[in-house]
Amino acid sequence: MALLEVRDLQVEFDTPDGVVRAVRGVSFDVAKGTTLAIVGESGSGKSVATQTITGLTRGARISGSAVFDGAELIGADAATLRRVRGAEIGMIFQDPLSSLHPYYTVGWQIVEMIKAHDRSTSKGAARKRAAHLLSLVGIPRAEFRIDDYPHQFSGGMRQRVMIAMAMALDPALLIADEPTTALDVTVQAQVLGVMRTLQQEFGTAIILITHDLGVVAEMSDEVVVMYAGKVMERAPRRTLFYRHHHPYTEGLLASLPARGEPGERLTPIAGSPPSLLRLPKGCPFAPRCRYAFDKCLVEAPPLATVYQDDDHESACWLSAEESVREGQRVVSDEQEATA
Amino acid sequence: MNASDGPSTPGAVVLPPEVSTGDAPLLRLEHVSKAFPVQSSKLFTRGHEFVHAVDDVSLEVRPGETLGLVGETGCGKSTLARCIARLYDLTSGSINFAGTDISHLSRRQMRPLRSEIQMIFQDPYGSLNPRRRVGSIIGDPFAIHGIDSRTERKKKVQDLMERVGLNPEHYNRFPADFSGGQRQRIGTARALALRPRMVICDEPVSALDVSVQAQIINMLKDLQDDFGLTYIFISHDLSVVRHVSDRIAVMYLGHIVEVAPAAELFEKARHPYTRALLSALPVADPDAADNRERILLVGEIPSPTNPPSGCRFHTRCPKARADCVQTDPELETAFDDGVAHLTACLHPLAIDEDMSLSRPQIDDSEIAAAPDPGPSDSTGDTP
Repeated sequence: MALLEVRDLQVEFDTPDGVVRAVRGVSFDVAKGTTLAIVGESGSGKSVATQTITGLTRGARISGSAVFDGAELIGADAATLRRVRGAEIGMIFQDPLSSLHPYYTVGWQIVEMIKAHDRSTSKGAARKRAAHLLSLVGIPRAEFRIDDYPHQFSGGMRQRVMIAMAMALDPALLIADEPTTALDVTVQAQVLGVMRTLQQEFGTAIILITHDLGVVAEMSDEVVVMYAGKVMERAPRRTLFYRHHHPYTEGLLASLPARGEPGERLTPIAGSPPSLLRLPKGCPFAPRCRYAFDKCLVEAPPLATVYQDDDHESACWLSAEESVREGQRVVSDEQEATA
Repeated sequence: MNASDGPSTPGAVVLPPEVSTGDAPLLRLEHVSKAFPVQSSKLFTRGHEFVHAVDDVSLEVRPGETLGLVGETGCGKSTLARCIARLYDLTSGSINFAGTDISHLSRRQMRPLRSEIQMIFQDPYGSLNPRRRVGSIIGDPFAIHGIDSRTERKKKVQDLMERVGLNPEHYNRFPADFSGGQRQRIGTARALALRPRMVICDEPVSALDVSVQAQIINMLKDLQDDFGLTYIFISHDLSVVRHVSDRIAVMYLGHIVEVAPAAELFEKARHPYTRALLSALPVADPDAADNRERILLVGEIPSPTNPPSGCRFHTRCPKARADCVQTDPELETAFDDGVAHLTACLHPLAIDEDMSLSRPQIDDSEIAAAPDPGPSDSTGDTP
């Protein structure tokens, strides 16, 4: 059984402009000790989905199920969620400065976190553990820096502090929401390295939310691609990059500058993502999809197994007519080549 | 040394053709420096501390080319851009644009030149006034430079909107009605209004989603071809810079550490910082990601208020030697590189050199505080 099983998760917000359907029937599993990457562009619902699992979306209409280690989290009472958050599910966010309290030392904040979940821990023991955690995430002279305030750390170091805090109670699952997006590449490489090392050491499962396909290729075991609140494709890492099925995944990969020849034109996806207030009737990607046909515009395709691979699912009507699409693709690739 | 310099350079190295000698550079920077005074925390040193954001930068940009400028936060790339556009006054050095020394021009004298050098900014939200209609935002340059009647102006604006892929009928809409990518098109239209010769693009696609990013990159390329523009393209994203640039300059702590034709920089990075930057770039290809050389730099970029002595990278450089602490290296050719490839390093990398094997051979106090390599190694006594 998977560590986390999310089934048909739906999240809606009432806004003055109408109902925003941020997450529309998302399902995925996270197995123990593995990394699931959730990729998508802004507004795809990737952050909302994971925040809902940990009870962090206020004022939303939520339905569906998220079973973590045998316990249902959707609709669970506040006390249960508080116990799970931090102790069993650690979280790190994009901006470490706004996630840390500026008035308290980082050591105080980690100690507070440990003691909040286990009152029996002595202050000394908690502090010792905090120092150990800080050295674990690669903060030099941790036993001294523990008494520093967040503003005394650089961006990369702050994110390490956040990781130390998230890992303080040895959670089974770490949710990392764009953990390196605000960091420079050399620092990003360091922070990703820390996450990798900790995962190997503690066997923590990670949900990595990112828009960066490079980070996905480096870090993930399995990938979920989201678009307009829905899962478009789910596949193991290699399958996703080398044998993807969904036109949106194909479009994302094709639009990467690294995929094109320098100086040549890139292959963007036409148009822009739909407004969550006015979602198209059929497949949400249909208006931008170059393979779309009449059915796509009226009926949304379900997530279904493709290429006879049980680990590989795609929400696309072309699944049923793969041969047709293969033909189309070959033609269009050739056209591109000759263009 | 040349023998070890990789198998890819036997015999004559064919460099990308230099722009013909008759072509004078459009822009020439000589020893440009920009320092900002900082409020010192110490009582009696007020006004004596400076952030050396750009320090002794010399560069040439030829007409019609795209020069990529890469580096991490705080390396001075945006400050350099603003110096070139003369949004900042220089601390020292000179900037020559199209044969005119613009480094000491007053605001008034600068004004006619403003139409020649334009900027596109990173934040498509912050750079457009939300309370003004798109048509008047794009038409501003015409109004400011007193060009054309109102009706004529509208025609020109709508023409521009069409050129950048916007619907001219949206002339009367507000910025809030447009998506991030479309706003970047609005900013571009405004920049192109006066037919500039040079456009400085400061992280133009960093705030955009990848699928939209590609649209904007294509648009910039098309406009360059159509209008014969010269670009300075600033980004922290190496894959974007590689795609758009003819040449790339790598900045670190106010200095240019390496400049080379784009492809050559990626194949033959000489400066350890360039190599580390390239190796840190995540690639969207699992096989390549699993097999590539990973160079983890220690520490982070030092403060530009009090930059390290000698080579500024020596605190983080795996190849640092005693002389790096003393001598600040000049930009020069390394090994058998062509004249277009300059490196500021005392110990440049050979092509097949494995930098991950290098260890700094300088005093420990000179090295940036290194993260402990292993867990629970808080004493730091183990090697």
